[in-house]
Amino acid sequence: MTDVFVVGAGMIKFGRYPDRTYFQLGAEAALMALDDAGVSIKDVGAVYASSTFNAASMLGQKILQQIGQTGVPCINVSNACASGASAVREAFTGIKSGLYDIVLVVGAEKNPSGMLGGSPVAGPPPEGLFGSVTMPALFAEAGMVHANAYGTTLEQFAQVAVKNHHHATMNPKAAYQKETPLDMVLASEMIAYPLTKLMCSANVDGAAALVLVSDKKARELGMARAVRIRGSAMASDVFEPRSPEILEPNSVTRLAAARAYEMAGVGPEDLDLVELHDCFATAEILHYENLGLCADGEGGRMVSSGVTALGGRIPVNVSGGLLSKGHPIGATGVANMVEIVEQLRGEVGARQVSGARIGMTHVLGFGGSSAAGVHIFEKA
Amino acid sequence: MQNTTLAKPGTKVVRVGPDGAAWIEGYRCDECGAVVTVATMACRNCASRTPPAPFRATDHGTLYSWSVVHRSYPGIAVPFVSAIVDLHDGLSLKGTLRNVDATTLRLGMPVVLVFDDAGGAHDQNGAPYVGYHFVPEGVSE
Repeated sequence: MTDVFVVGAGMIKFGRYPDRTYFQLGAEAALMALDDAGVSIKDVGAVYASSTFNAASMLGQKILQQIGQTGVPCINVSNACASGASAVREAFTGIKSGLYDIVLVVGAEKNPSGMLGGSPVAGPPPEGLFGSVTMPALFAEAGMVHANAYGTTLEQFAQVAVKNHHHATMNPKAAYQKETPLDMVLASEMIAYPLTKLMCSANVDGAAALVLVSDKKARELGMARAVRIRGSAMASDVFEPRSPEILEPNSVTRLAAARAYEMAGVGPEDLDLVELHDCFATAEILHYENLGLCADGEGGRMVSSGVTALGGRIPVNVSGGLLSKGHPIGATGVANMVEIVEQLRGEVGARQVSGARIGMTHVLGFGGSSAAGVHIFEKA
Repeated sequence: MQNTTLAKPGTKVVRVGPDGAAWIEGYRCDECGAVVTVATMACRNCASRTPPAPFRATDHGTLYSWSVVHRSYPGIAVPFVSAIVDLHDGLSLKGTLRNVDATTLRLGMPVVLVFDDAGGAHDQNGAPYVGYHFVPEGVSE
């Protein structure tokens, strides 16, 4: 079977775009990725489009209406916060199978405003009566499990936000470029203990795109800037006794990570950087352990010791992450990969991880059940 | 017509008998012992085709995790404690923990499930709902 390479990557600056549609945002990112690859939409054999909120309204086809209706198949993917990785995984499968030589993946989202989480139910509105189902509360509760087991502190959770907001000051496409020192993070509005507002992801619009090709096509286009996908894995949640009463983000991520490491033939010690799903500051610490970056219980110390900051042993979320680059939900998984691809090419300027060769992306989707996606990339 | 004003379950796990008595229903797989809050066609854990069987859950348990919620959807009264409780017979439930000093919350704290009127809500026919919340063991309403 052919290897699969990323030869084009692009993303728009994340933020709010009240005057533009989700498919216009997606089309802009698509053209950036096609131009980066040096190919035309006429060369593309299939389109995989992800949007958590708009996949049901034919996102991919509407992008093609903007940039050229070539008639190729469009697969529209919605899989909660794992939508983007799911689309890439399907695109990977399409190239691997030999059906296509060039495919386009686009993640595009216009997020709803306000607090996300929950869904309509019969009977009295449950929020507050039967605990909380806001996303901050769910990830606060998941973080408290870690705090109870290992003594992880409020300050350690807050340091994730300090770090990722700092990283974003070096990313002109991040929604926010503002330093947030520890006292500012701790003093910002308490949303759901231990999460303050600055420890919650930035709710913004955005779009990102990748061009994936076979090894034959990669050689034709030139390997100088090609990045190989060494591992592509998805997992769905397995039975956990308390789930979904509590959000259990751990076993599903561990399952996807194990599959990705096995496919790639590498281990955590081989990674030079990671973009993981820091939808809330608590989640990043859990995922250090879920992805094998440290032993169980060591997550809090990973961030407080600086190991996961730019310049540390294994930098995490140097793009600014979901906390500061932003979390346009269906675009997030693709945007994480754009960052890794550009890092492995050495093209990101001030936030460059020096000598980066192998990088990982991770996303976690939750909506009463869970999905996790883990991908491993290597400079070709 | 009288039946329409009988109390109704205010959330998925509550059951209300013809005499108005309420209980929490869980489901347990006879083959692997997995316990869940919602009836399924087969066991979520072991995939046994014998559906997990319903049982009446105990009202005593311990605190597993929580968050003090300070900001929620518009119109929701805050702060409140959102808690995940492990009932002693294996069922885990999310609910609001009331009558508690948030600074005293700790893993394993004994709590009791108390039925309530689900915030005083009624359906369109005027029927009341039955809800529940948790209180620390030994704390009266």
